[in-house]
Order: sequence, then C-alpha cells, then structure tokens
Amino acid sequence: MKFAVEAWDPDYGTGGDIDALDASTDVVDADVELPRADWQPLGPHDTPTPEVTYFVDGVRRIDARIWVTEGGRAHPGSCATVAAGAVACSSTHAEVTDVQVRRAVFTPPVPGAQSIETSFGEYTHVPVRTGSPEDLYLGIHEQMTELETWVIPSTGPDDLVVFDGPLRGRSASRAVGLIKTQHVQYLDDDQQLVVGALEDGQRSPLFLIGGSSFARWSFYLRLPGPRTHGWAGVVRCEMSANRMLPVGDVAAAVDLANTVSATLPRFASEPHKENRAPQNLYPIKGLEQALRRRLGDQRLLQRALRVASADV
Amino acid sequence: MQLDDVVALDRVLPTGEQISIYGIVNQVRARHEGATFDSDVFLIADGVLPAEISEAALVQVTRVVPEIFVPPLPGTPVRIATDDERDTALDFDSVLRRLPAGLSRENEPIFLDLDFLDGTKGAHVNISGISGVATKTSYATFLLYSLFNSGVLGKEAVNTKGLIFNVKGEDLLFLDSHNAHMTSDQADRYQHLGLTPAPFGSVGIVAPPRRGDPAATPAVGARTTGVRPFFWTLDTFCRDNLLPFLFADAEDERQQYTIVVQSVAAQLAASVRHNEAVDGAVRIDGATLRTFAELVDFIERKLIPDDPDEKPDQRWTGRAVSGGSINAFVRRLSSSVRHVDQLIRADVADSPSYALDLDRNQLTVVDIHQLHDRAKRFVVGVVLRQAFDAKEASGVARPLQFIVLDELNKYAPRDSSSPIKEILLDVAERGRSLGIILIGAQQTASEVERRVVANSAIRVVGRLDTAEAGRDQYGFLPGVQRQRATILKPGSMYLSQPRLPIPLLIEFPFPAWATRSAEAARAGSGDTDPFEGL
Repeated sequence: MKFAVEAWDPDYGTGGDIDALDASTDVVDADVELPRADWQPLGPHDTPTPEVTYFVDGVRRIDARIWVTEGGRAHPGSCATVAAGAVACSSTHAEVTDVQVRRAVFTPPVPGAQSIETSFGEYTHVPVRTGSPEDLYLGIHEQMTELETWVIPSTGPDDLVVFDGPLRGRSASRAVGLIKTQHVQYLDDDQQLVVGALEDGQRSPLFLIGGSSFARWSFYLRLPGPRTHGWAGVVRCEMSANRMLPVGDVAAAVDLANTVSATLPRFASEPHKENRAPQNLYPIKGLEQALRRRLGDQRLLQRALRVASADV
Repeated sequence: MQLDDVVALDRVLPTGEQISIYGIVNQVRARHEGATFDSDVFLIADGVLPAEISEAALVQVTRVVPEIFVPPLPGTPVRIATDDERDTALDFDSVLRRLPAGLSRENEPIFLDLDFLDGTKGAHVNISGISGVATKTSYATFLLYSLFNSGVLGKEAVNTKGLIFNVKGEDLLFLDSHNAHMTSDQADRYQHLGLTPAPFGSVGIVAPPRRGDPAATPAVGARTTGVRPFFWTLDTFCRDNLLPFLFADAEDERQQYTIVVQSVAAQLAASVRHNEAVDGAVRIDGATLRTFAELVDFIERKLIPDDPDEKPDQRWTGRAVSGGSINAFVRRLSSSVRHVDQLIRADVADSPSYALDLDRNQLTVVDIHQLHDRAKRFVVGVVLRQAFDAKEASGVARPLQFIVLDELNKYAPRDSSSPIKEILLDVAERGRSLGIILIGAQQTASEVERRVVANSAIRVVGRLDTAEAGRDQYGFLPGVQRQRATILKPGSMYLSQPRLPIPLLIEFPFPAWATRSAEAARAGSGDTDPFEGL
C-alpha cells in the first residue's frame, strides 16, 4: 500500500481532497484566461511583489452559553468575543497594525433580550434568527466578518490585501481572498488534473465564478511545501470582479493574479511550525495568535458573566 | 534600562500613605513576543511573522520606605533613581559617617557605613577572589586610603594606624610613591569620591634582615631606601613566650610534643625574668646566648643530655613525657633554625631598637614575602599578638588599628589549630571591642576558619573561581551575582554590607600609589642620565 501522511493536523481535516469535492452550484466560466482545452500550469511568476502586503483575519470564541428565560421558556444563546486585525508585512518587518475586539450576546429575538453589562465591559445584544447552534454560529461569524471590514487598512496603490477565507463582501482596491480548504469542485475533471499538476509557485489559469451580481475571479495556487498528495499545498484565491477588476478586464485580473502568485509563496508555513502548513500563512498564524491573546481570559469573562447574571 | 541601574516606584495605599519601593536591576532580557520557535526570529526578521520585541528587567528590592511590605502593583511606572533618590534607594541617606568604598558603573559614589567597620555596630572586612584578577590587596589598600584620607574618621584619622603584611612580591613596598601610570581620568574618579589622589603619607616599611648578614640589613630587592630591618631579641622571644609560634600545630592537643613546647616556653620565660642584659641577649645557667642557634643548642642540651645515663631535666620536658615526644620537639625546633635565625637574635649592636614599632608611622608595611612559610607564620603570629596585647593593655579601643592580611587560608585554615589561628580568632571575635579591625583576604573563603569570615561585617568578592562561587560561604551573594562574580573584571567587586540586603557592584579607582617598582614615579628619574659627563 502506498500512502502519504497529510501535513495538516487531524483536527483540521484536510486541505483538499481531489475526489471528495462537492460540485459547485455556481456558474463557472473557465475560459476567461485560456480556453479550457489549453489549460496548463502557469508560472512561477517573477512579477514584482508589492512593497507592503496586508493580511486581514479574525478570530472568535464563545465565552459562555446562556439561557434566556422569558415567560417560563428558556431560549439558548451565546456570549462571544470576536476580534479582527491586520498585519502589514514589508520586506524587513511584520507588524500587527490594527486590532478590534467586540463582545456580544447572541439570542433569538426574545422580548426583553438586551445587552449584558459586566465588570469587563458590555456584551452588546445581537439578535439571531433562532437559537439553533447553526444560527448562533452564523451570528457570531457575521459579527467577525463585519469587524474584519473595519480593520481593512488604507493601502498604497500597489499594496496587496490578503483576506483569510472567501471574500464574503470584504473588499479593498487590490484584495484577494485565500481559501485554505477546498470543499467545492468548480472545475471539470480535466482542469482538476491541471491543478494537481501544479508545481511550487505555479497557478492555474483564471476562472470566473458566479453570475454578474457577485462574480469573483479565481485561480488555484500551489504553495511550496511537502507533496504528500496531489492537492497538497493548493489554495484557491479569489478576487472580487468589481469596479477595479470588471468582468471584461481579463488583463487586469491576470496581472493581479500574477502578483498574488509571486507574493504568497514567501509566507507559506512549514509543517513543524504550523498545523495547517503550508496553507495557513505565517502572518495569519501570527495574527491569530495576537488576536486570541486580545480576546481576554475566558474564565475571567465567564466569571464576570456569572456575576452579572446574579445581579439581574 | 541596564544591569545595576537603581530604580524606584511608588504605591499609594488605600489609607493614602505613599510607599516607595527601591531596587537594583539584576537581570535583563529581551524577547520576541509572538515567537513560538527559536527559528521564528528569522521569519520575524524577514517580515513574515508579526512579533513585538519586549524587554524586561528583574529588579531586586533594596529598600521599602516606609517599611510596609506590600508588592509593587503591575503596570506602575518605574523610574531610574538619581541623586537623593539614589541615596535613599541604597540607604546612604541615613548613614551619618560615610566611608567612600568605590564607584558604581555609572561613576556614582558608593559608601560604607563606618559604624559597621569601626566596631560601633560591626567590624572587619573579608575579601575573596582569585589571585591576580580579583585585586584583593589593591582594594584593601584603597579602603585604608579612604579611611585615612576621606575625613570620615575626623580628628582620629591622624592617630589611626594601619598594618599591612606584604605576602607576595614587593607589591606593597612602594605605597609612599606616586603611581606613574595614574591618568587624569582616574584622578577624577578620586575627586568624585571626595578623595585626593596621592600616595600614602606616613609609611614605614620594615623587612626581615638578610640571612647571614651580621649587620642585619633588610632583605629587599627592588626597594633600596627607606626600609628598616626588624627582628626580635632573644630576650623578647623568651619573655613574651614566642616559642609556640614556631610550631604551626602547637595547640593541637593530639600532638604529645606540645607539652614539651609549653614546658620549654615556661622555662625560658622564667629564666629571663631576672635577666639583666640590656642588649637583648639572655643569660641562662651562666651561659650568654646571642643567636637563635645558640638558644636552640641550649634547649637541646636540656632536653637530651650529652650523657646517655643522665635523665632529661623534667622541669624542661614536662612530666611523664616520652622520649619520642622530646625527639619530635627537638627535631621540629632544630629544623626551624635555618628559617628564623635572622629574626630572633641579639648579635647586633643595639638589638632592642630593631623591635617592630607599629606606632611610628600611620601605615606599617611588614614585608614577609621572602620568608619561608614557617617564618611567615611566626612573624604574622607574633606581630598580631603584639598588636593585640598592646591594645588589650591600653584598654581603649581608639585610635583604631587596622590590619591587612592576605592569604588568611594559610594563617587561619578551616581545619587544624595553631597559635596564629587562635590569635586571628581573637582578633575576629574580640577585636571589634578592642579597636583592632582585620581586613582579611583570601582566594577561597571556604578554606578559611568559618568564625573569622563570619565575624566580618563587610564582605567583598572579586572574581571567583566557578567551583568556589558555588560554596555556601558566599550565601550573601544572590544567584545572579554569584554567577557574575565568576566573570568580574579586575577592579570590579561585589560589596556586601549589613545595611543593604543585596550586594552592590563597585569599581574602585586605579591606585594613586605605586603597586610595583615599575609604577613608582621617583622625582627626576628618567629625565636625567646619571652617567652624563663621564
């Protein structure tokens, strides 16, 4: 039996599984840069890299699960802290430039539900659709995404902003979303094989996802790292097909894609230092670490919430 | 912020009372916050991984004013203590009589409380450190200079006496000469301490006579003028009971022959009780003895009669002493002759005038470096005994007598007992009330009698051997200082005094007096050619 050990920590699943992807429900146009038949690995590129590359990410933590009692019925809710920040990386210096922290209490729309005042600050009330775990999770996630849009730095014309995860409406003049885990199959099997054949630093040709309302340019990029299996080290990048990169302007999209392909391999992490190497980039790892520290001590917050619950 | 900085911070108690906490920076470190692996530094330097540099210092508390022992609160700003605040931090502000003891690394003066040196609250100094690098003797002379010249002793300074044994080389024979290598920078450091850089004013240098020289000229090499010879007359030797000092282990009860030592010494003292000779010679049983060899011969005849049938004189041997013990005594006594015969004699005109007079000069240097170990012990023991007896007889502690003695491990070793060790213990334990202050030094405090070191109120440590630094004799040095003591550079020492809970790092200025003949600046030397015109 020939086998390879996945570089990612088992807790995180795998970065991508070539045979187990769900088919995409979005419209995909794979002919924008090269005709499907001519697909081949592109690069690596020696495009000049931006002077400063920004990385934007957020973290979240549920501090306590709560029950809101209203009219004899108890409704589940969550108290959570989310934080978002940005890292600016130049050729000599990496620095966390901005950090935002928000604490919020998430409950279904129960009458009388309100913000919670604790000795360590206020948990702002955010209503969610129902008390189901999925809805609560979604509510927290939305708060985090919103916070991430707050920390988007004002950039120079050539600077690049890398968002962790799909863009989800976050944007900047030159922005790219970095998707570490591949769940969806956007390409046909023939093009999938091209992605599997990428060498370090090479990218796939561009393809366009989605209709005109929320179209994104996308491509696959292989980061340097151990080749345990065909898609090891592959990330999907997506760039918003917005005013800066309109759907018709392929040249501009190619240009940015080349810049991204030339920039990101430098930040790829190594397996002995990072559980999700190489896809979880070093600046993002460092940022997440810094953000988690800023979330505050969970036990302390829990205690403060207990005290607050007794006061009401 | 750097090592050894003096810092201060305040805390206000709920009662409104303000507490100031003072300390000294003892450890500093800088690290990357955000780095998990050591190799992350490369990522950080490449601008890939965000991290912040944090510098932190560990501060040892020296003082809390007023003494309410509450911890400093996290996040309180800390300031560097300067001027008056520094004095408060180091507890100099409450010291009435400040003895300049050295400089900090920032060139700020560091003081000793004279109360802990002159016997008021404590006495004695003990200096440890390896030879050559630790500069123990230099520091001892610096302390003496500071005592004599800083004015801290007031009018008493004039009559305060110092006694230094020169045990190695001719280092201390030039204390009265200017140091030719003195620079203006170093002179400034003296000024900073309130001292004037100059050699010692009143120095008397004595050396034992040259061996085999009937004229008893002093046995010195590099220094030719201003050295007086010294020795003891046979009369003094007998009268003052100096015989035991010839035997390193005379007090050891396990040695049978010590009984003989005691008996002979008693007989000698009795014999000279009515000695009429004024020239230092002794007349016993009709024989006039002028040299130590003659005296030894005489004693031998008393103990081992020429006629084998004749019994030895029991008054001299002591009762019920075996022949073996007598032989052991005679063997040891005879072997001492060639080492000390130049030191005990009455064959020079006006012999009694060669006695050691510690009061003639403010500072007396006794050169013993050329003597055999046995003779060294004899001289040190007898001189200490004389100084001690003189003080005891005078009955007043003032003026003070300071005694500088290096190689304490040789004179007061941890195991074994000897008359010299007894006298040193006497000085260490009773000297404080008698006004005899010992400034002792040794390479390794672990090899010196515990009570001698323990009685020193002030401890000084220069560069220590790594293994030695780990011994519990240096318990007064906290861990970090102990480690740093193994890498101290010459001229730097740790000074521990009772007032402060932690030892201070001090530097002392380059000696303004010559510490070897090459440094001695003599008037006119080098400028004129003595052979000019020949």
